[in-house]
Amino acid sequence: MTRNNETPADTPLLKVEDIHISFGGVAALTGVTFEVKGGEIFSLIGPNGSGKTVMMNCINGLYRPQKGNISFDGKLISGLSPHQRAEMGISRTFQKIELFSGMTVLDNIRLGRHIHLKSGILSSCLYVGKTAREEIESRKFIEEEIIDLLEIEHIRNHVTGMLPYGMQKRVELARALALNPKILLLDEPLAGLNLEEVEDMARFILDINEEKRWRVTCVLVEHDMGVVMDLSDRVMVLNFGEKIAEGIPHEIQDHPDVIKAYLGEVEELYVTRR
Amino acid sequence: MGYLPCGIYHEYYKQDHAWWQTRFVYVKMVLLVLVLILFPYLVSPMWLSVAYTISYYILACMGVQLLIGYCGQITLGHAAFVAVGAYTSAMMVLFIPWPKLIVDWGLAYPISMIAAGIAAGMWSVLFGLPSARVKGFYLIMTTMAAQWITVPFIITQYVSRIGGRGHYFSLPPGTVKLGPWVIDSDVKVYYLSAALVVLLTLVMANLLRSKVGRAWIAIRDNDIAAETLGVNIVWYKLVAFFVAGFFAGIAGSFYVTALYFVSPEHYEWFFSLMWVGVILIGGVGSLHGTIFGSMFVVLVFKFLEMTIIPMTDMFPWFAMKLIYIKESAFGLAVVLFLLYEPNGLSYRYWQLKNYFNLWPFSY
Ligand SMILES: Nc1ncnc2c1ncn2[C@@H]1O[C@H](COP(=O)(O)OP(=O)(O)O)[C@@H](O)[C@H]1O
Ligand SMILES: [Mg+2]
Repeated sequence: MTRNNETPADTPLLKVEDIHISFGGVAALTGVTFEVKGGEIFSLIGPNGSGKTVMMNCINGLYRPQKGNISFDGKLISGLSPHQRAEMGISRTFQKIELFSGMTVLDNIRLGRHIHLKSGILSSCLYVGKTAREEIESRKFIEEEIIDLLEIEHIRNHVTGMLPYGMQKRVELARALALNPKILLLDEPLAGLNLEEVEDMARFILDINEEKRWRVTCVLVEHDMGVVMDLSDRVMVLNFGEKIAEGIPHEIQDHPDVIKAYLGEVEELYVTRR
Repeated sequence: MGYLPCGIYHEYYKQDHAWWQTRFVYVKMVLLVLVLILFPYLVSPMWLSVAYTISYYILACMGVQLLIGYCGQITLGHAAFVAVGAYTSAMMVLFIPWPKLIVDWGLAYPISMIAAGIAAGMWSVLFGLPSARVKGFYLIMTTMAAQWITVPFIITQYVSRIGGRGHYFSLPPGTVKLGPWVIDSDVKVYYLSAALVVLLTLVMANLLRSKVGRAWIAIRDNDIAAETLGVNIVWYKLVAFFVAGFFAGIAGSFYVTALYFVSPEHYEWFFSLMWVGVILIGGVGSLHGTIFGSMFVVLVFKFLEMTIIPMTDMFPWFAMKLIYIKESAFGLAVVLFLLYEPNGLSYRYWQLKNYFNLWPFSY
């Protein structure tokens, strides 16, 4: 039931070509093209409102670009709906937390296993044999692989809406990871966390990306430049919906256009919390 | 989620998934079944009809609870699906030239009941289709359309005139036969109703603790997140409409045996509204709530009748107004619950249960 994520390095897992999308005449993305290779951490940075979240929504299918193609794992996915893309192995977290806030942590994570449960409606009515077995297996997976990794044993039966913000972010990561995805889109996973929580979260992201068991490719949107520079294999910079730079972290750091784009936010660029 | 009694904890995941996690609960359930079986011997016959009316409400409201309480799809036309079930079942029993074997074995009615469930389920899916596109207020309008199109129009104008009958189909004694039993007394109707309630409650509870139920609840709580996690929300909404309609169809088919006839006035819009009220009173998003709400409403109606009917000798005026008094009392009850106990009766039950479970360390 575990997915093998050994995509050969250096082949593009995600290919985004010439994306255009606008809202009521305001362009949010214009002609953005990039590739994410299997196994890497690819960061998306840019000032507020530059279209990072819109790009995540396009990849995961919540938004349909007016022009451009997205392919994943060698298949064109532009026409698929979000749930179909989830089944292909695209998972994500949200900038503004989107948990099922009335449910317990465990039930939230159980929903992350949805696509892996195969029993039909009729057998669910009876809850015997396969359905029951599948539920137990799924529970085992959640406990041993997810809850253990992300260190949330102590809150598994808590209602998520009542948890502190930092914990909610972690539960969202747990739920996204429960899909056993090939690619994980992380939209500002560190925003609003305190120092200790940032360190934990950064470590989890690295674990998920590097551990042989997972090897999940990550697309990371983040403002904390210290973390971005440390974690990323490659970085792409958006400004007003246009791609202005792409490269390995230290190229980006010194890129004149990037510094210009962040003018006024220059301090923020070099502020690190670590 | 409730708490386990003090001092009890699990070593295996399997235990945590079981319904009845302690011996005490097993004993409680066995007692409950015993009470259901012995009920006709414990009470005066008058209460049998109260009991099977409660069952009828539970069966009908289970679908309303599923749609509103678990899937977040507000429906105000559920009586239409109950009506489809009742008419399907009654007409199949009456008009199909059943082979002798099936009649002898008493299979016509059970077959018609399943057909009633399927027909009502599909009819419900038809009116659930707009839920793929619209939410909230607009969906309410389409479910109301189900009521108006089905009951006053199709059923009253056309279906109930089939065979040249005037207003209703009556089922001659002995036609409703379930295997070897002819359902011809209140006791038998009661047992049939109790069996159906137990069976369908188990089915619903199983659905709710499996993949399907979690998908429904996810759609209710956050449809964007649900879709992102791979839940095909359109499909699961339609499944919810089908299951809700199926339960309504079974309810309608069952109630035919209690009434011995079907007629459109049993499926008026008031019932659609009332069943929503029942789950508000009992508790939205709770299976217990469906049961408590049905008991509460039917019993309140019964007590009103019992207090008002003796008074009609003195005040004949009451006899005329009984139905309005009932409806006003119902409206008042819903308002009071919304104001003072918005979580419904099931919440009170839950509090009480946890109080005893956590005793003596109830903090
Ligand atoms: N659903 C929407 N409707 C209208 N405008 C939107 C919508 N989503 C995003 N935008 C606009 O697109 C631009 C990019 O937003 P976003 O991607 O959220 O920025 P960020 O890079 O900070 O994540 C902003 O100007 C925003 O107002
Ligand atoms: Mg954003």
